[in-house]
Amino acid sequence: MLSGRSSFQGSSAIAGRSLKGKLFEINWLLPTLVGVVGLVGVIMIFAATDGVWRYGAFQHLTRIAFGAVFMLAIALIDVRLWYRLAYPIYLIGLALLIGVEFFGVEVNGSSRWLDFGVARLQPSEVMKPAIVLALARYYHDLPSHRVSHVLGLLGALILLAMPMALILRQPDLGTTLLLGTTGVALVFLAGVSWRVIGLASLFAAVAIPLFFKFGLKAYQQERILTFMDPSRDPTGASYHIIQSKIALGSGGVHGKGFMRGTQRQGEYVPENRTDFIFTVIGEEFGLIGGLLTMGLYMAVIGVCLWLSMTCKAMFSKLLILGLTTTFALYIFINLGMVMGMAPVVGVPLPLISYGGTVILAVMGGFGLILSAHLHRGVELPRSG
Amino acid sequence: MPKSTASNQNDKNTISRRTAILGFGGLGIFGALTARLYQLQVLQAEDYRALSDNNRFNFNMLLPVRGEIRDRFGITLAKNSQDYRVIVIPERASDLEKTLDHVSQVSELSPSQRERIRKDVKQNPKFVPILVKDNVDWETFSALNMKLHALPGIVAEVGQGRSYPENGVFSHVLGYIGRAGSRDIADDDDPLLRQPTFRIGKTGVEASQEETLRGASGQLKVEVNARGRIVREWPDPDSRATPGKDVWLTLDSELQEFAAAQFATEDEGDDSGGICVIDVITGELRTLLSMPAFDANLFVSGLTQSDMDRMNNDPKRPQYNKVIAGGYPPASTFKMAVMLAALESGLINPQKKVFCSGKTKVGNRTFHCWKRRGHGRMDMRDALKQSCDTYFYDISQLIGIEPIANVARRLGLGQSYDISIGGGIAGIVPDGEWKRNRLGTGWRTGDTLNASIGQGFVLATPLQLAVMTARIANTLEAVEPHLVIGKTLSGFRPLDFDPAHLAYVRDAMWSVTSEPGGTAFRQFPFGSAPELSGIEMAGKTGTGQVRGISAAERATGVRHNSKVPWKLRDHSIFVGYAPYDRPRFAVGTIVEHGGSGAKRAANITRAVLGEALRRDRLGPSDAADTGSLN
Repeated sequence: MLSGRSSFQGSSAIAGRSLKGKLFEINWLLPTLVGVVGLVGVIMIFAATDGVWRYGAFQHLTRIAFGAVFMLAIALIDVRLWYRLAYPIYLIGLALLIGVEFFGVEVNGSSRWLDFGVARLQPSEVMKPAIVLALARYYHDLPSHRVSHVLGLLGALILLAMPMALILRQPDLGTTLLLGTTGVALVFLAGVSWRVIGLASLFAAVAIPLFFKFGLKAYQQERILTFMDPSRDPTGASYHIIQSKIALGSGGVHGKGFMRGTQRQGEYVPENRTDFIFTVIGEEFGLIGGLLTMGLYMAVIGVCLWLSMTCKAMFSKLLILGLTTTFALYIFINLGMVMGMAPVVGVPLPLISYGGTVILAVMGGFGLILSAHLHRGVELPRSG
Repeated sequence: MPKSTASNQNDKNTISRRTAILGFGGLGIFGALTARLYQLQVLQAEDYRALSDNNRFNFNMLLPVRGEIRDRFGITLAKNSQDYRVIVIPERASDLEKTLDHVSQVSELSPSQRERIRKDVKQNPKFVPILVKDNVDWETFSALNMKLHALPGIVAEVGQGRSYPENGVFSHVLGYIGRAGSRDIADDDDPLLRQPTFRIGKTGVEASQEETLRGASGQLKVEVNARGRIVREWPDPDSRATPGKDVWLTLDSELQEFAAAQFATEDEGDDSGGICVIDVITGELRTLLSMPAFDANLFVSGLTQSDMDRMNNDPKRPQYNKVIAGGYPPASTFKMAVMLAALESGLINPQKKVFCSGKTKVGNRTFHCWKRRGHGRMDMRDALKQSCDTYFYDISQLIGIEPIANVARRLGLGQSYDISIGGGIAGIVPDGEWKRNRLGTGWRTGDTLNASIGQGFVLATPLQLAVMTARIANTLEAVEPHLVIGKTLSGFRPLDFDPAHLAYVRDAMWSVTSEPGGTAFRQFPFGSAPELSGIEMAGKTGTGQVRGISAAERATGVRHNSKVPWKLRDHSIFVGYAPYDRPRFAVGTIVEHGGSGAKRAANITRAVLGEALRRDRLGPSDAADTGSLN
């Protein structure tokens, strides 16, 4: 199946030669939705910083703009290049993670950063799209009858386990679980048999409690225990959850009004510019604002799923679905945490929370999704 | 290839199916999140709104403005003033010790002050301002203000302080204010006392009238942030603090200052002692002065060690409120009580003369008259006029101590008065029972003789002497002193002496000051002031012995006060009232170690009594008007 070596086969494809033509071919609904979510972020950061433009809202806006350019640049790159670069990128990500192991900058007790002098880089952010690229390529290349095979499974497991182990050592439980869940979702999507799924579930039921006991640091255990029973530590870790719930609950249906959140003004919810920004939405715009935000996210995810359907190649489908899964997991974990349904782990609300690396990573991911869609007609080599 | 296509197609179906499964899973999670949001924001919204308000609002206490203390004409004796103070906000001071070092360079901080600051910082949250120093003078305050940029966490602010503008002559009366101690807090559950900047009355009128002066706290609803810092205030006129009410005293501040000026000496600073001017009709105290005075403002700002040492080492004991707490032998001023007891007993004929040879022998003890050569033949009136001790030695043996003590008590001696200043003593009016209880020995005739001239065990304060004199002058009622205007007064008890006896005593007292030969005779007791010409006074001198006079001294005649050390000189005592015919004011004066009562105390009393009458006729001077309408 090595036909269509160089032809560009978008739905109304003219040629892969015209960048301008390609730009028109991009699915503009997705970038528009992403931009709208980003603007919600600008507004909410503006509120969270008490209306001081330069305390984050401005930076966020420029980052969204930068991210959009970055996204479109990636989108225009032929998906076959991404296919070819999948493993190299994965290896670079792995190398950076190993670098963190030795040269990581320690912040708040965990070393997640690499300092390159001019800029700091968080290799785990690189690993999020990288693992999707690698697994998508892995399953694209893997004949379908091997998917549920021991060797087939083992390959995926190795690809997944190496970065997970390195990130867990940083330690960064949130990202580890995010990576793992994305990987598992990809394995599932690739068509692993229900028999294997059943066995794996059984194994997980035994392994997770053991992991909790022996694989986690004390503070990580404490966080999960506190989440289970918030009265354990009312002023410590669960203070976050309680104040966050007060902010949301006191917002009611209509909210207290833009810039009128008292929980926010009183600085009761820490980190409400970053991970806990949904409390500002919930407090100032109420249930309506919360549901609209969630609706926007659902629209983004829905569009992505639809885009994956239009792709021919396994790699493209899995690439889109894997990245969408990561994006959705960000949202689920973050909202679950803010609403007191999940433990407090440092996961931002994508595109809305303040923070440059995440915006770049997420928008880069959407770039890949757009690229996969834009080049949905291309044939990728696949061994039968 | 067909197989591959088939498997490819199969792959596609699988992945679509599984995408759908995950998609629905995601939808389910969104559904769960929505349900949770609904639960929080609709079902439990009320609870969380309450919690949010709970977070948000605090009630800060508003301190009431303390009432002022004024004299009878409205002149302010204790007022609220701007207090320049330096505070530190610990959370803004990166290095507290270093900051305090810097402050110390401008305004010295003693080790104990620094210790207190450290303690306060430790006991309060980091954002609570802690007082570094208050009552800073303007120069220091502005010098600190200039340096503020180099002193992180230090704030120079103007707060409410207390000041006593009238030269310290009211210090004993007014007392002072200070931070509530643990005992104050235990006795009084007003939460104001727990406020670190709140001050309560510690002594004097400030303490006794605390209830009136304090007012009531208010509340200020404030919005606070997570660290407790105030974000916004929500003032409510209904919850403002109720200011304390002013307290008006019966004192005449100008008269009090005039009296204080009379205690000045040429070479020995202010004399030590006390003077009390009382209205003989109403019992209002016009002057209540203990000398030397001290500056009560020193206590407000915190006494320095050197101030403290200076006061404690001063032999004149400035802090000691001698006018109500100083017990002195009343000496010859006690003779009026003996006279009244004699007249009441019916045992003594006042016209009957007693020969004074200068001494009396009782058993094997000799009692001397102050006039060693003797007075010759004396009747009762002459005996008081010339203060003949021998006469009183003689008659007291006939009447005995019990009637004398009884009369003395009815005249107001031997009891303390509630004049809204703590610390007043009862003095001593001795009798047989007192001596048994106190010393465990029986009463002896010698004790009676000593008591008859106001020596021995008898002790009285200037206030009591003034009350005694006022009662003699009043004739009908047992006048009691009071100091605070507006205090509910019950009528005075009847004095219960035969008015004729009192008239006889008053006439004798008149002779002391107004007849040639009287111990305090002056042709014009109130000087040449025309408005007081023709006004006569009555009075009695007293010379309180501080030590026994040795036989050797008696022999050599070394008795003159100026030749013995200050500490050993006699107390100079005088009581008097005026005008003689229509009594208005009574005065009791004691000058510690002031020598003969006919001199120092009599001079002071005459001057003050004259001034009191003059002021009473003229009303307050122009200067007094300014304070009355504030």
